[in-house]
Amino acid sequence: MKAVRIIAVIAGCLVILYATLTKSRKQFIKNLLSQAPYLIPRYFT
Amino acid sequence: MSDYDVIVIGAGIGGLCAGALLAHQGRKVLVLEQAERVGGCCSTYELNGYRIDIGASIIEFPQVINWAFERMGTTFRKEVDLIAVDPTFTARLHDGTEITFPIDLEKTKEEIRKLAPEDVRGWEAYAKEMDGFLKAALDGFFVTPARSLWDVCKLFAKTPSLLKYGSLFFGSYEGVLRKHLKNEKLLEALSFHSFYCGLPPAILPGHFSMIPYAEHAGIYYARGGMIGIPLGFQKCGQRKGMEVRLNATVEKVLVENRTAKAVKLSDGTVISAKVIVSDINSKTFYTEMIDQNNLSWLARAGYKSYRYSMATPMIYLCLDYAPPLKDHHTLMTVPMQQMNDYWFDQYEKGRFPAEQFGILSWTTRSDPSLAPAGHHIIAVTLAPGPYRLVGTTWDKEKETIKQNVIKYLESKYLPGLRDHIVHADFSTPVDFERRLRSPEGAIYALRQDLTNAMMFRPSAKSKQIKRLYLVGASTHPGGGVPTVTASAMIASDLIAQYES
Repeated sequence: MKAVRIIAVIAGCLVILYATLTKSRKQFIKNLLSQAPYLIPRYFT
Repeated sequence: MSDYDVIVIGAGIGGLCAGALLAHQGRKVLVLEQAERVGGCCSTYELNGYRIDIGASIIEFPQVINWAFERMGTTFRKEVDLIAVDPTFTARLHDGTEITFPIDLEKTKEEIRKLAPEDVRGWEAYAKEMDGFLKAALDGFFVTPARSLWDVCKLFAKTPSLLKYGSLFFGSYEGVLRKHLKNEKLLEALSFHSFYCGLPPAILPGHFSMIPYAEHAGIYYARGGMIGIPLGFQKCGQRKGMEVRLNATVEKVLVENRTAKAVKLSDGTVISAKVIVSDINSKTFYTEMIDQNNLSWLARAGYKSYRYSMATPMIYLCLDYAPPLKDHHTLMTVPMQQMNDYWFDQYEKGRFPAEQFGILSWTTRSDPSLAPAGHHIIAVTLAPGPYRLVGTTWDKEKETIKQNVIKYLESKYLPGLRDHIVHADFSTPVDFERRLRSPEGAIYALRQDLTNAMMFRPSAKSKQIKRLYLVGASTHPGGGVPTVTASAMIASDLIAQYES
């Protein structure tokens, strides 16, 4: 239960932090996150 | 017994430079090119007495290209007749304001003082940061392999000063410029350079913000057209016996026991070699020219995941008058946020409006011999063009788009233009794909964000197939004439190390 609360607090902080970012900063982060799942396969190319 | 020591697929800058360097190692080299001329995106074609550049219109970082020539006992200037271009560019902003950036940094500072006095200090701070970063990057980053985490650790160990600039890699181009500069007009003037690396200011990694500064070290044009640079490498290679075969399309690379053995041409000819070097888009190469059974499932997923870089539609204008421009490069700009919005709201949604931003490359300004006396050429690099247009195709819309863009250029930048056009040619992303065998017309091969960089970009020495190497824009360090030259140096070093 404690772990869930900690995760929820961290997630909440991240959401607030994200909301304060400028539009272009959000675009930069979104682009990186959208490609993150491919990093492992790309490492083998 | 193989027919050749090395076969290079593709006679772009990377392929010819690698071929020449390997010939100078004493290897018997054959370069195969599907087109009728060499150079790929850095090439020139002739039309009724006009010599027109297909893509690249200047070169930056001449010292990197010079390193390659020096390895062959010569210099860039000895092999290619270079014309210094000064100023670096003039930006014509959306509201009509103009600002010029001379090569001389002091003169540039004076120009900035006129437009944005509040940003003179910021410009100095930007210049200082970029100067330090460039010194560190040129020391190792450009010509050091980055195939694995270990390679990247070694790269930073070799040039620890790069660590000081680590934050540049994790920020955006826009972020770095905004850290130093506040004036929106000055930011607008410096924004378009992000497309030199294929992405808008919001998502291009911050270390590329060095480009507007790096131009102050000198930019050059090759007399007779940009094809002079690949021809320079070709001459160097041919002096050591390198063969170049044009109109020779490679269909497959033949692999046995996970080792590259030969290439099969479209006419059925098979030519064997001890080492194969590919200078074509690595995503296309691995997904279409290699039997997929030779690749691990993880690598197959990796190759498929790459996104092609942007395509750049270009209009080539042959004119019977001197256009009302000042410099070799005039940037047609819009505010930085508008460039970002264009990317997300237009380009990514398959739209291509007539209201444009981009570059007017007045090549006859630097080299009048490119056109008949009194005539001129402007190569217009337009905003990124989506490969797939929503609801239509480039072939259907080509003429309409060309006329609309010419009308727009006339109204905003080149008054009277239509009365002086002798010939206007339009190369769409689809045309680039057909002419250069560049998938989706991608000019920088693959996107150049952090998730496609260094160890996450296809490796110069194949991780899947022995005796197979990559050069060109789709391997480290990425797209652009100097970086592609660097990739050839990296591959030739690796071949010298592993294929003795």
